[in-house]
Amino acid sequence: MPLSPEANKKLRLELIIESPALRRAEDLLQEAGVTGWTVVPAMRGFGGETRWSRGTDISESTDMVVIICIADEHTLTPALQKILTLLDRRIGVVNVSDVRVLRPGLF
Amino acid sequence: MNVLDTLISPVPMFFALGLFAALLRTPMSVPQSFAKGLAIYLMMAIGLKGGVEMSKTALDGQIFAVFGTAAAFSFGLPFIAYFFLRTTSKLSRTDAAATAAHYGSISIVTFVAAIDALRIAGIPSSGYLVAVAAIMETPAIITGLWLALKGQSKEDAEESASDRSELAREVLLNASIVVLLGALLIGFVAGDDGYERLAPFFTAPFQGVLCLFMLDMGLNAGRGLRRGWRKLGLAPIAFGLYMPLIGATIAAVAGTLIGLPAGDKTLLMVLSASASYIAVPAAMRLALPESDPSVYLTLSLGVTFPFNIAVGIPLYIAAATLLTGG
Repeated sequence: MPLSPEANKKLRLELIIESPALRRAEDLLQEAGVTGWTVVPAMRGFGGETRWSRGTDISESTDMVVIICIADEHTLTPALQKILTLLDRRIGVVNVSDVRVLRPGLF
Repeated sequence: MNVLDTLISPVPMFFALGLFAALLRTPMSVPQSFAKGLAIYLMMAIGLKGGVEMSKTALDGQIFAVFGTAAAFSFGLPFIAYFFLRTTSKLSRTDAAATAAHYGSISIVTFVAAIDALRIAGIPSSGYLVAVAAIMETPAIITGLWLALKGQSKEDAEESASDRSELAREVLLNASIVVLLGALLIGFVAGDDGYERLAPFFTAPFQGVLCLFMLDMGLNAGRGLRRGWRKLGLAPIAFGLYMPLIGATIAAVAGTLIGLPAGDKTLLMVLSASASYIAVPAAMRLALPESDPSVYLTLSLGVTFPFNIAVGIPLYIAAATLLTGG
């Protein structure tokens, strides 16, 4: 399938965030008009001089999740500032990259 | 019954097994969703049993006095905890407030272990104490948040309060409260006849499930302790050992004034001495994200929980029996 250079260009947001803040982050994406995203559990990692691992905290309050979201730049950009504000006081990592998608009508 | 009888019963020994396995870095784990299922089973079992027992006794003034005292303890104990943490350690206001909230709330597993220890000791206890456990889950969270937010800037306080609806859901409708109170009500309505049909599922397997859950709790406590103890320092670790004794002492005095029998007094002491590691951490991550979970989780799960299982419960049973003239 041909990748048309412009129509297929999107932004891909990858947000690693603690699970108690997940609903808030999802609300921000929905308010911005993002049409879809996927949440996957993070298994383990290292940061802030601490090794963490899923399944070691019975309250599940320190579990981390990854939100993957692909959207148009003009849709995603307004949500990014709010996501940064959300991360001001929370544990998390966010990055945005340019991607090209095969089915642009979905985004 | 002596301290050794309690310690060499399978429940604390499985906890010790998990604890040492984690400290020795054994790659053993209980799947998280399975452990969650076990916790729900245990809460259902004690809720149902408590409800059935409540259906046989009239709600009198003494029971309401215990309900009121328990709510007051949950509101009040965090103030005491906060005072000690701020005066003896270098914890920030937010970390101290978040930790203090854990010590006003309760550990349902410690409560279940205490019921088991009382059963071994042949000391009866009342079913309504399950409702007391549910009552004590939440007020401490409000005190902890108040202690933390009164020191924050207006912007930070507003940001902390922005998750209000989710926080309210977490605080008022967390699994412990829903399952405990729900099962209590079902047991109350079903009575002895209804419970009899469920007994094969909730009575005989209870001990085995509790042992399995305690193994997982030991693993959690050991891992938390291994990771977090360096961060804590001596003063907070000491706090995790003496704060349960303060809570238990206050409860012992109140229980004596109310005229509680030894078993009920023990359970009130256990509830006041225990620290939450399920409901409160989730609420604190929502409302006080800048608080450090390695401080309060390590203290409540890695220090206070093992202390209560190994030393606290036998001590509280002995003290309550002595105070009641047993």
